[in-house]
Amino acid sequence: MDLPGPFPVGRYARKLQEEMRKRARVQLMGEVTGVGRSRKQAFFELRDSEGAVPCTMWLNDLERAKLPEGALRDGAELVIAGGPDYFPGSAASSPSFSFRATHVRLAGEGDLLARLEALRKQLRAEGLFELQKQLARPRLPKTIGVVTAETGAARRDLLAGLARRGWGGSVVWAFAPVQDRHAAPAIATALQDLAARPEIEAIVVTRGGGSLADLWAFCDETLCRTVALLRVPVISAVGHERDSTLIDDVAAVACSTPTHAAEAAVPLDCLAARRELQRAVAALRRSGEGAIGSRARHLGALARGPARALQRERSGLNQKIREIRAASERGIADRGAFQRRIATVVLSRARRRALQRAEAAVAEEGRRGAALERSAERAVRRRREALAGVAVALRAHDPERTLERGFVLAETGEGEPVTSAAAASALARIRLRFKDGRVDVTPAAADAEASERASRRP
Amino acid sequence: MSENEPEQSTRAEPDSYESAVERLEEIIDRLDSGQAGLRETLELCTEGRELVNYCAAELDAVGEGLKELRLDELAAKLDSQAA
Repeated sequence: MDLPGPFPVGRYARKLQEEMRKRARVQLMGEVTGVGRSRKQAFFELRDSEGAVPCTMWLNDLERAKLPEGALRDGAELVIAGGPDYFPGSAASSPSFSFRATHVRLAGEGDLLARLEALRKQLRAEGLFELQKQLARPRLPKTIGVVTAETGAARRDLLAGLARRGWGGSVVWAFAPVQDRHAAPAIATALQDLAARPEIEAIVVTRGGGSLADLWAFCDETLCRTVALLRVPVISAVGHERDSTLIDDVAAVACSTPTHAAEAAVPLDCLAARRELQRAVAALRRSGEGAIGSRARHLGALARGPARALQRERSGLNQKIREIRAASERGIADRGAFQRRIATVVLSRARRRALQRAEAAVAEEGRRGAALERSAERAVRRRREALAGVAVALRAHDPERTLERGFVLAETGEGEPVTSAAAASALARIRLRFKDGRVDVTPAAADAEASERASRRP
Repeated sequence: MSENEPEQSTRAEPDSYESAVERLEEIIDRLDSGQAGLRETLELCTEGRELVNYCAAELDAVGEGLKELRLDELAAKLDSQAA
């Protein structure tokens, strides 16, 4: 060991105090915790998520700062000015290190904004703002997680917003303090717990309005890094001013009110969606039926097409047929006229020749006729003379001529001549014909026979 | 035969409400364009009706009234179910 010393520790402690007090005076900002007072001084810790420094302040310096009543309390964001100090202790008291604050004031918006801006720049540079925004957000989640204060308007507003959506899914609450230094770690834990549940599809982090100092937990670097790395989309609705807290930057969606957060968590307006779905059903039905109907009509038109074409063709053909017929009739007529002219010529010649022949024949016939007539007259005269001879002979044999001479002709009732007595006696009746009429008689033999037949009857 | 059936049934099953609605809008746009042939139209209508049924079921799932529970209750419920 070739180090200097050994030195008496008390002397070293004083030397250390001197060295500490030589260090540059600075301003620090952070949240106050563990506030306490002794007779002469106040002590507290100033901390943020990265670390802390024990602070002491003489009471007369504190009074000079004229802080509002009760401002030095746990959770307050303060800016202090001073430098490191070392109390070397004594034989009876313990040594201690502290930051000796000579001035103190409440952290203002400007301080917080400056710090926020630095953090924002850093996280943006690391690409942490984009991670959540790349996550797919379901339009219709069935279960959402919510991190908020157990009491407060934010919870009520969120529920009202969800109800207005017509959404009736499940809300899983993870209540956490939303203001003070415990808030950020509690919120981060709640978010991680919710994100670990597989059924949770989106998470809302919400808190009502307040000053930037009130909302400071939502600018916590650790919390914001946690949010950025979650695999479930986070919707932030912190305070009333958009983009005032860092969590708004890293979240998937930043909203200005819990009501808006409800709409972002359930992007689908379920009531409107039901109406849309009805319209879709109607459109589908229309298209389905319309497609068939219009095609059927089209098909019908197509089916009629050939018939129409056929009809057109048929009309065309008919027209042609008429034309051909007309043409052929004209042709026939022409030929007919020609033939008629020829025929007329031929016929008139033939007629003339026939007439000449006929005239010659008539003349010949005339000549023959005259001769014929003469011979015919002769023949008639001869026949007439012969006939007269025959008539005379015939009259001589006519029975009528005999009756005229006083003879009687016996006949049957039917006019058949009865030419023998045997025949006459066989008849029941005989008609006698005289020249001037007829008389019916009954032969006597027949009479006797008849009376004999009658008497033989019993 | 049994190998083909699951394939057909998964074809029309959308993975989310938004993808179902997106596809449904595509289908209706296509149908409204009047460019789809008859077979395609009928297929689109069938697919559309399946999507509508899916969407209606999804809406019904969140249509029964809002349910609230705390994260610790959810954990307890799941634990008791597991037990």
